[in-house]
Amino acid sequence: MDVIVCVKHVPETAEAEIKIDSTGKAVEKIGLVFDINESDDYALEEAIRIKEKLGGTVTALTVGSGDADSTLRKCLARGADQAIRLTDVKFNGSDSYATAKILHSAIKGLSFDLILTGALASDDGYTMVGPILAELLGIPHATMVKNIEFSDDVVKVNRELEGGVEEIVEVKLPVALSVQTGINEPRYVSILGIKKAMRKEIKVLGLVDIDLSENDVGEAGSWIVIEKMFVPPVEKQTEFIKGTPEEVAAKIAEIIKSRGLM
Amino acid sequence: MHFELDEEQKEIKRAVKEFCEKEFTPELALEFDEKEEFPTELYKKAAKLGFTSMRIHEDYDGQGYGLLEDCIVVEEMCRVDPGLGAAVSLGNLMVPDILLKHGTEEQKKKYIPPLAKGDAISAAAFSEPEHGSDITRMDTTAAKSGNEWIINGSKEFITNAPLADVFIVLCQTDPNVTPSHRGQSIFIMEKVTPGLEATKLKGKMGIRPCITGSLSLSDVKVNENNVVGELNKGFYYTLALFDETRITVAAQAVGMAQGAFERAFQYAKTRKQFGSPIIKFQGISFKLADMAVKIEAARMLTHKAAWLFDQGRLDPMATSMAKVFAGRVAMEVTDEAIQIYGGYGYLADYHVERFHRCAKITEIYEGTSEMQKLTIINQLLKRM
Amino acid sequence: MLEIFVLTEHRQGQIRDITFEMLTKGRDLAEKAGADLTAVVLGKDVREHAKTLSEYAKKVLLVEDKRLENFNSEVYKKVLSDLINKHKPLLIMIGHTSFGVDLAPSLAAALKLPLASDCINIEFEGATLLITRQMYGGKVNVKATVRKVGCYIVTVRQAAFSVQKLSMNGEIIEKSSSLTEEITSKRFIKYVSPPLSGVDITAADVLVGVGRGIKDESNIPAVEELARSLGGVLACSRPIVDKGWLPNDRQVGTSGKIVKPKLYIALGISGAFQHVLGMKSSDLIIAVNKDPNAPVFNFSDYGVVEDLFKLVSPLKNKICELKGHKI
Repeated sequence: MDVIVCVKHVPETAEAEIKIDSTGKAVEKIGLVFDINESDDYALEEAIRIKEKLGGTVTALTVGSGDADSTLRKCLARGADQAIRLTDVKFNGSDSYATAKILHSAIKGLSFDLILTGALASDDGYTMVGPILAELLGIPHATMVKNIEFSDDVVKVNRELEGGVEEIVEVKLPVALSVQTGINEPRYVSILGIKKAMRKEIKVLGLVDIDLSENDVGEAGSWIVIEKMFVPPVEKQTEFIKGTPEEVAAKIAEIIKSRGLM
Repeated sequence: MHFELDEEQKEIKRAVKEFCEKEFTPELALEFDEKEEFPTELYKKAAKLGFTSMRIHEDYDGQGYGLLEDCIVVEEMCRVDPGLGAAVSLGNLMVPDILLKHGTEEQKKKYIPPLAKGDAISAAAFSEPEHGSDITRMDTTAAKSGNEWIINGSKEFITNAPLADVFIVLCQTDPNVTPSHRGQSIFIMEKVTPGLEATKLKGKMGIRPCITGSLSLSDVKVNENNVVGELNKGFYYTLALFDETRITVAAQAVGMAQGAFERAFQYAKTRKQFGSPIIKFQGISFKLADMAVKIEAARMLTHKAAWLFDQGRLDPMATSMAKVFAGRVAMEVTDEAIQIYGGYGYLADYHVERFHRCAKITEIYEGTSEMQKLTIINQLLKRM
Repeated sequence: MLEIFVLTEHRQGQIRDITFEMLTKGRDLAEKAGADLTAVVLGKDVREHAKTLSEYAKKVLLVEDKRLENFNSEVYKKVLSDLINKHKPLLIMIGHTSFGVDLAPSLAAALKLPLASDCINIEFEGATLLITRQMYGGKVNVKATVRKVGCYIVTVRQAAFSVQKLSMNGEIIEKSSSLTEEITSKRFIKYVSPPLSGVDITAADVLVGVGRGIKDESNIPAVEELARSLGGVLACSRPIVDKGWLPNDRQVGTSGKIVKPKLYIALGISGAFQHVLGMKSSDLIIAVNKDPNAPVFNFSDYGVVEDLFKLVSPLKNKICELKGHKI
């Protein structure tokens, strides 16, 4: 089974403070730690487990700047066989559609049975690279995938629906699957893995290496152009409780008691 | 000349950081500090990923990197938690180092791989109740009888002694030679050897997940094949060994300082007094700036000493400079971190007091700061 | 006449709420744009659904085919593409749900129509489509323009719009299915519900919800004790279930349970919309988070900017004290 896994190098923001930068269209990147996107991490792990079980290869792909090498190297260190980075200043400003087109132009010449992506990117949250890529490649897809089973030329996948329900669908190979977090437990990078990764080269491709024009990529090739970024409006006026932990605890306990909840 | 870690070293740092930040949780750190127990599971996990065998050659299931890469790992572990970090990084201390240099192929094959893989723990017994900094004479003696050596004596402050599967022990093999240090040899022996007994020392000030013990040897019989390297070379082997391993102690100190600094820095940004975060007050912010400078300087010295070693140009002065400076920095920075936290800093739950308690050991073990200064001045006298 | 399409989402005989939310917003957009609001329903034996939908829309396009019985993005894509090509609607609204995220991107790519996903607001400025959506887990909002064409697709976030019913008495128009052959690349097999742990968080009056900030599995018992001291139950956000620290029926949010307890205490939960949607209707919400800008504070009655670990034990003690229990 030859697997291509598409990953994104993103800032970790779940527990970080975010500030909007001076352009008003992006967040301040200084001080943020970048790593592989969370659901892509699960996709990578799934790809490696599939390789370990069924044989074949894993190729990691990303669209990003040179900084993204650390994410690709992580993929290699965890068990990917090769890595390709798609980099060009013309790619800046690409939304999911333009990104999917770039990935497509690099992937269509490769042989593969399965493409894995994360379900969503934790930065822009578009939730669509995987299925667009599938459409461009003319292959079926499934999103929100929580379990994958192979039999002959099909995969049976569990898709996560709302309210704790899942559906099982059967999709023909080759297929693109967008993997949801929690599908597995991603492994740590080992020192041996790093050593192997450092011996592998990261292939870098630019706009001239793929058959797309300037108009297909970046803002020109995107569906969405960000006009401004702003702090979300407050739905409820929160009353902040201040003091030492003991004081705060006492106040909260009083509030709970006054509502008759004890 | 360049002052940056290379890409591979950065990857190593990132991998160990990710592992420690997920595994060395503050709760686990408090628990093991309180219980004074060795974190066996963590040690095994770290070992399986290769973090505890950086300097061990690949032929013996190690990672085949240099001392600098090991320092990167040790610093990162101690940054996340000084107690767990020290314990995990010292799980297989010194035995692989001494065997790689002086052991027979048979000894290497037998003892190193289990230590590299985290399946075994080792201890190195040099200090004695009466001999700490001065090891020119050992009261532990080994007397030849046929093809065996019979060892008697006691060792003190031995890291891992109560847990170790394998020991190296420095003994006086020739009690009559002058100077006496020319009559010392190193033996390797297993836990199961009759007459070898370890007792756990409790109530250490810091690095409490790292277990320390006393070792008593009464009529311990070992085969002559258990001598490591040449007979009567033990003292020289020991000095050279410490010149290597004490660089990692400097790395421990740098990590402990960095960890306490990061905590204090975050705290100073959020703690408000007189209506503003305390980092806005120069009394606090200048402390933090000083701490950052000291840590960076200590790290530079440590990396330089490690780099020299990896170049095959071991410099005892560089090693001692790194250790004495990093140890002091660790004490000062962790002390200031508590000061920045104020009353909270004095509480275990806020962690910085643990960093301070742990930091102290770096000024003591593997050669006290005073002994480092002695080395430095002796080297200077030779060179200038 | 211009049209705005709203794609009906239904599962196991139920029209899902997102459909009515989109119809309400769609009507507003249609009025402003001088367009007709059309509900599109694909399925098998869904005439009843069409009737329900006719209360909300000017027109209901009904396509029935046994191959449309269960949602299947490949089959839906084929049928919808034909409808869209024929009607050329100004806007197609699809829920940003497990159903929508499986369908909309490939539909848009197939039709070469721009798609804006996960929108929380949609407006037209002249012929330009402006959308509002969130980034960085709800920590910022963005306003964005969509590439100018005559036909747009959007996916709409759940609960972004409230539902208003009007008696539109819309016209139900039956369309024959354009499916000619079997689509075999993707097949629906069945629905499954993961095993339950036996705790029903939707029935609890008091819930203590924990998120990423809990850091380690070993901290679960301490928060569980806090929940118990309040006679409540422990719930959590997605990362906790992903890590296997709590069973999945404790998860609050779009992919978990929607809860409305009398008291919800959010500990170390940043407040990504997927979670917030599951708990924001609670009577009283108290949030504890280290990050003063955590989105959860936009939905809470009371907030504490603090490390949750510093608060759990004093709070439990205080509660036991007020209840007159021994600690």
